[in-house]
Amino acid sequence: MKDIDLVIEICGSAGEGTISAGEILSRFMSGQGFEIMSFDSYPAEIRGFGKCVAHTRLSSNCIYSPGKLVDVLISLNDGHSISQLSTLKKGGILVYDSAPLKPHGEDKSVLGWAEPGTVTYGVPLTMLANRAAGNSRGRNMVALGAVVALFHMDGQSFTQSIQARYAKKKQVIIDANVNSFLEGFNWTKKHIEKTDSISFDGVIMPAGREKLIINGNQLVVRAALDANLKFYAGYPITPATKIMEILSKELPKNGGTLLQTEDEIAAIGAVIGAGFGGVRAMTATSGPGFALMTEFTGLSVMAEVPAVIINSQRGGPSTGIPTKTEQSDFNAAVLGGTGDCPRIVLAPIDTFSCYQATVLGLYLAEKYQTLVVILLDFFLSNSIRNIDIPVKPSQVFLDSNIAPTKAELENYQRYKVTPNGISPRAIPGTPGGIFFSTGLEHDEFGKPDYSDKGHLKMTQKRFDKHSFVLEEAPAPQISDFTGDMADIGVISWGSSAGAAQEAVMLARKDGIDAVSFSSMILSPFPEKALVAFADKCKKILVPELNYSGQFANFAVHIIKRPVERLNYITGRPMASEDILEKMRQM
Amino acid sequence: MPHYDHYVIIGNGPAGNHTAAILRENDGDAKITIISDENIFFYYKPKLTEYIAGGLTKAELMVPGLSFYREKKIRLRLGQKVDKIDPERKIVFLNHMEKIYYTKLVIASGSGARVLPSMRSYADCLKHITTYNQVMEYKEQIQTAGEFFIFGGDLVGFKFIKMLCKMHKQVTLLIYPNAFWPFNLTEKMQEIIVKNLSRQGADVLVNDDISQIIKKEDTYIVKTVKGVEQQVDLVFSFNGLIPSVEFAKGCGLDIDHGILVNETMQTNVPDIYACGSCAQIYNPKINSYTTSIGWANAVVQGKVTAMNLLGTHRVIESVDYKYFDLEGVEIKTTWWEDIEESSFI
Ligand SMILES: Cc1cc2nc3c(=O)[nH]c(=O)nc-3n(C[C@H](O)[C@H](O)[C@H](O)COP(=O)(O)OP(=O)(O)OC[C@H]3O[C@@H](n4cnc5c(N)ncnc54)[C@H](O)[C@@H]3O)c2cc1C
Repeated sequence: MKDIDLVIEICGSAGEGTISAGEILSRFMSGQGFEIMSFDSYPAEIRGFGKCVAHTRLSSNCIYSPGKLVDVLISLNDGHSISQLSTLKKGGILVYDSAPLKPHGEDKSVLGWAEPGTVTYGVPLTMLANRAAGNSRGRNMVALGAVVALFHMDGQSFTQSIQARYAKKKQVIIDANVNSFLEGFNWTKKHIEKTDSISFDGVIMPAGREKLIINGNQLVVRAALDANLKFYAGYPITPATKIMEILSKELPKNGGTLLQTEDEIAAIGAVIGAGFGGVRAMTATSGPGFALMTEFTGLSVMAEVPAVIINSQRGGPSTGIPTKTEQSDFNAAVLGGTGDCPRIVLAPIDTFSCYQATVLGLYLAEKYQTLVVILLDFFLSNSIRNIDIPVKPSQVFLDSNIAPTKAELENYQRYKVTPNGISPRAIPGTPGGIFFSTGLEHDEFGKPDYSDKGHLKMTQKRFDKHSFVLEEAPAPQISDFTGDMADIGVISWGSSAGAAQEAVMLARKDGIDAVSFSSMILSPFPEKALVAFADKCKKILVPELNYSGQFANFAVHIIKRPVERLNYITGRPMASEDILEKMRQM
Repeated sequence: MPHYDHYVIIGNGPAGNHTAAILRENDGDAKITIISDENIFFYYKPKLTEYIAGGLTKAELMVPGLSFYREKKIRLRLGQKVDKIDPERKIVFLNHMEKIYYTKLVIASGSGARVLPSMRSYADCLKHITTYNQVMEYKEQIQTAGEFFIFGGDLVGFKFIKMLCKMHKQVTLLIYPNAFWPFNLTEKMQEIIVKNLSRQGADVLVNDDISQIIKKEDTYIVKTVKGVEQQVDLVFSFNGLIPSVEFAKGCGLDIDHGILVNETMQTNVPDIYACGSCAQIYNPKINSYTTSIGWANAVVQGKVTAMNLLGTHRVIESVDYKYFDLEGVEIKTTWWEDIEESSFI
């Protein structure tokens, strides 16, 4: 069977159905057994203007990154699509509206700017949508119909996908969408002479397991509920808002409580309060909110109270670029704050691991009585994948508090120094488990203690816990070495890891002996594994989505040698093509 | 505010490209746009017959110098068809409903296949070789087909027949003397041609005419007035070329077969010029307008057009006479030459 690996983008204006068209396409492809990764970019404004792009990569093989360049660009809006042409591959395909209501002014049509060599298909989107439903709203469906016909996809199944998408709507809406789709499909079959070679004819994917079509934010919610989350406090902020929005409906159904606070400071305060009370609690925010939480993160560490913060990074600093992706909160998450403040930081490397990281985060926070920061980013929060349904966590992960024994409650030392640094934690209300809890430095009973020896002892205790955390975290993902030494080792983290892994695979095909390393846990960091990896690489490359190379700087301290860096702050996810290009130059 | 010209050139063939090259050489500031309804870079049309036979790669079909457009800041709009012109407002309307404003317009839209009026009802059965797109449509079919019926003749047709014979295809040619437009085929010439083509393996019919073409599944049955009946895979018509000027009709431009221009390539409408095989040029010697097909003519006309647009008065002169061999007949012409890779831009 021939392989399919395509990137399709639909570009329109907010309110033109761009994102829903992309969603229908992705769901249909997933239903057909293809891997999908889709990613939408949209303006901060709600509706009516601003460019929207629904980006979908679909493949008969495993997908690691969204794909930088596009094979097919579907333009629902000429003005916005002109700038999007720069992402179209050489010789790519442009589908455009050949009969808009009004003529375009000079240089205002997307076709006018198509690079010579682009395969262009004009479809009268507006005219056909009007014919189907009496208005032009269904242009997005007409465009989908055209694409399905052009690439010989299964029109009937696609119609069912549209029906399923609008199943909860009135019949007239379902009909308008289906009819618009069919107009585009039939018109294209009849009028377009195909000159490209993309065809799904004869491509039948084996029926696989049932898939979950989901994005990182949704998966965080699913994981949190599966991992016994009972309290959430938060303040809405892009790109994390969706987590709160879904939890506001789902958490009460699961016996939990959601509190919308007046700001992020109150939110983390409430989470720490709930954690202190023995309830699994978390909050989700983005850079600006995370900055506000800093003081309380110190309290979580000092008072040894479990707290989980999801920080979905966006372009920063400050309000920055709210709807663009970046990995620039590494320093803030791993090193930020005041005092010697050890915390656990996890960074999922793909959509699926958003689930693992959330379950693990809630578990580790409770067990190690500390702060856990989970670093997502705009891309991970919003990109949609079709994944195997995650297996629910076992009982061990649902209740990880190490409670004091009866004997320990006799003369209860809340902050007792133990071999692994974890002091048995009494939940308030436990008979005999009364203790002081404060942000001040304290002794083993929790009473304020400012002595130099006491401060050293307790600081050491809080750090000691970390060495045990590593044993419970997933081991770093390291690709196989083909020999003793590789030419290039690519070290990555978070959402850039997929692109790095893909780039390494492509590089190997190119004859470059490359290997990859990525770790979901960033703090504590698996330093030994990194050093061992680096020792077997002639050169090291660190690609990441920030300007200053935050993770590269961190890695240099561990491996004690210079690294090559690849830093982008374009607002787009890391591209394997760019990493590969950099490797070729090294 | 400085004023820059916007030269809009309709046509990406030798006439259009050479106009653009000279314009840019002499006017660094002007905006220059070339529009072509074909979605392919500048290519050697004369090599299409060889390409269709598989004797050339696509790269060999292309005129070298692709970086030219970017370097020279010439905007190339490919796959965009001109629908009409509004000379009053100086607008060119594109099929995808975009308007382009020009200060000076050059029409270099070339020519397409001439379909004989008697054959219009069979238009769906007939194939032509005048553009790359057409060639792409039948390239594979030509490779697999065994039997061909060709009627007409013309110079492109002969090139094609030669190619087919080399590919060991079964070819029947029905010669239409008037297909040799614009020169007359004498009895003597015809005799020599028939002899030559027969030697190469083609069946040649003369003094006959097609009475019917019937499509039967994937084949065609061609019947002639004299009772010949043949079942073939493909039927080709080669009856000369006709200027492609549909879009220019009705806008006030004087048009006969082609767009009428004076010796400086100017049309009757201010700021509109025409050149190449879409133009009919006034010839004071015969006090009439003639069309000059052929690559070399298109190049020269493009250059002269550009010079006149730039204000340097130039009168078009015919390119030198050349002799070439048409199946054993020596033909002297100014409008046809064997194209070598000589016409870089
Ligand atoms: C198969 C074949 C073989 C030939 N062999 C020879 C040979 O051996 N020797 C020789 O001297 N000559 C030969 N010729 C003739 C020669 O190719 C032409 O005379 C020459 O190409 C004419 O150049 P031109 O620039 O005037 O037009 P063309 O090369 O025909 O170019 C016309 C351009 O105008 C564009 N155009 C037309 N209408 C529109 C529209 N409405 N909107 C936008 N764009 C439009 C077309 O897309 C094209 O880009 C041959 C021709 C053919 C078809």
